[in-house]
Amino acid sequence: MKSVLMATLLCATCVSPASARVEPPLPTWEPEERQVLEEDGWFAGKFLLTDDPMEEESEAPSPKQLDVEAPTADELADDEPPASVIPEKYLSAYFGERSEEFIVDPQGLLSSKDLKDRTEFLRYHAGDSSINLYIYLFKGDQEIPGEVREEEIIERFFSEGKPAAVVYYYLGAPQRSVFYLSPSLTDAVSAAEQRRALQSSVIQAFQSAVAADQLEAFLVQMSIRLYWMERMLVGNVRASDAMPVLADAAVTRSAETVSPPTLGIVGKFIVPWIPHALLMVMIPAVALGFRSWLGLRARYHFPEFDVEIRLGGGHAAGVGAVISFANAALPPASQRDQVPDYLRRA
Amino acid sequence: MKCPRCVQRIHRAAAACPHCGFSIADADARFGKDEVSLRCLTDTAGLLRRGDRKRVEAWMEKIQRVFPQLFVAVYSGALGEVANMRQFGFWLLNRAAFDDVPPEKPNEAGILIIIDPESKAAGMTFGYLLDPFIEESDTFECLSRAHPYWLEGRYADGLLKLFTQLEVVLRKRNRQARRDPERFERKVTPPSQMGDLVKRIREGHRHPAPDSAVTVEVER
Repeated sequence: MKSVLMATLLCATCVSPASARVEPPLPTWEPEERQVLEEDGWFAGKFLLTDDPMEEESEAPSPKQLDVEAPTADELADDEPPASVIPEKYLSAYFGERSEEFIVDPQGLLSSKDLKDRTEFLRYHAGDSSINLYIYLFKGDQEIPGEVREEEIIERFFSEGKPAAVVYYYLGAPQRSVFYLSPSLTDAVSAAEQRRALQSSVIQAFQSAVAADQLEAFLVQMSIRLYWMERMLVGNVRASDAMPVLADAAVTRSAETVSPPTLGIVGKFIVPWIPHALLMVMIPAVALGFRSWLGLRARYHFPEFDVEIRLGGGHAAGVGAVISFANAALPPASQRDQVPDYLRRA
Repeated sequence: MKCPRCVQRIHRAAAACPHCGFSIADADARFGKDEVSLRCLTDTAGLLRRGDRKRVEAWMEKIQRVFPQLFVAVYSGALGEVANMRQFGFWLLNRAAFDDVPPEKPNEAGILIIIDPESKAAGMTFGYLLDPFIEESDTFECLSRAHPYWLEGRYADGLLKLFTQLEVVLRKRNRQARRDPERFERKVTPPSQMGDLVKRIREGHRHPAPDSAVTVEVER
């Protein structure tokens, strides 16, 4: 029976395909049902299940054309250049002369509080270190004009005076920072060491997403790196006198341990006597050592006398002391008199 | 010089103690008359551990090296009574044959230390070679150094202290002997010189012989 039914259905499908494409009619709302649902409020598929036409979105009205005058030619000439270039009016503040402050920020990129905090930190660093740290602040997307030659500026401003490290720092983009050392240091500190100092500072800066915090972290790390550079330089200065500029730094560091006047007294009065003192110590020491050595090698021989035999003993009759260690309350001192037992007091 | 039994003073050539009559025969009767074979360090009481033995032996060798004539022997064992210690020491140094002592060193050159852990006593005996140089007080000083260690049962440490003091005493006596040997020789010289003096005095009081040439010349 089932096979007959299936065959019939199959034949019907094959014979009349057009009748199979006819879709069944969609359900329609009864007016009562719709009313009840609409009273309850919104229901899902409202627009799909109704034959109501969709409301067309009204097109937004086009904005009115503002009535503004077109810029004049002069205004166009004075217009600011693109934001990627440092405005020319700040160039002299940046690169006109050696800055008195450790942070050079003529554009006012830092808030007054941050500027004050960072400046205080750099002053503290300058007091503690023999290498000052100068920061030139720029916007993250700014470019230094091509006519400004940074290295020449460093050479011009930082060749004299206290050695310095200069960083062109781009606020919010510490990875763009550029690091320079004053000419007196460039020979002593390798390029690799400078690069490592900058990289580690940049890495520290990226610990934060806030530009001000990045600058703070950058400065702290750079200060640390400068400290290590300084220590390395002090070692070099002691090894050779090839860096006269750094001599001051070396003396400053070494002054903590040995003050020059004391060294002078030592060198003048004590050092000449050191050989004599050594001799005075060495000669008795050698004599004592020689005597001890002789003592160790010494052999002692007793003279041999003819001793008459006593008590029939062929080899010995020398009876020495006898001591009792049975009782701690009986010290050797009380046993000194070796007397017969019958003479001892009870 | 004292008698090993009664601890009374005896004269330098006494064949037996004038006070108690003690002699080697009495000691032989008590401990045996045969020769006893033993080593310099004989620890029959088992007081010393292996490491201790090495330390003690090293010190004994050192003393023999510094004083080539002498040797040191240590004997530990139970003797019964403290009073026997002197007699035993006297007997042992006369009857012992030390296997590890070269034959050119007789027992006269020996220093014997006896420790009795049962009766908690120790004594020293020395041969005739040291008779003029060592006194009873010297041996007492040596034993006193060991006393605090032996009280705690640290026998090896006590022996080392004893050896240290013994070396000091021997060095000191050696220096004195080199400086003034007669002083020590007098201690052991037989009293025959005194007899000679008496003989000379008596001869001086004799009448001169009649056939003396001097006398004849005077009479002429």
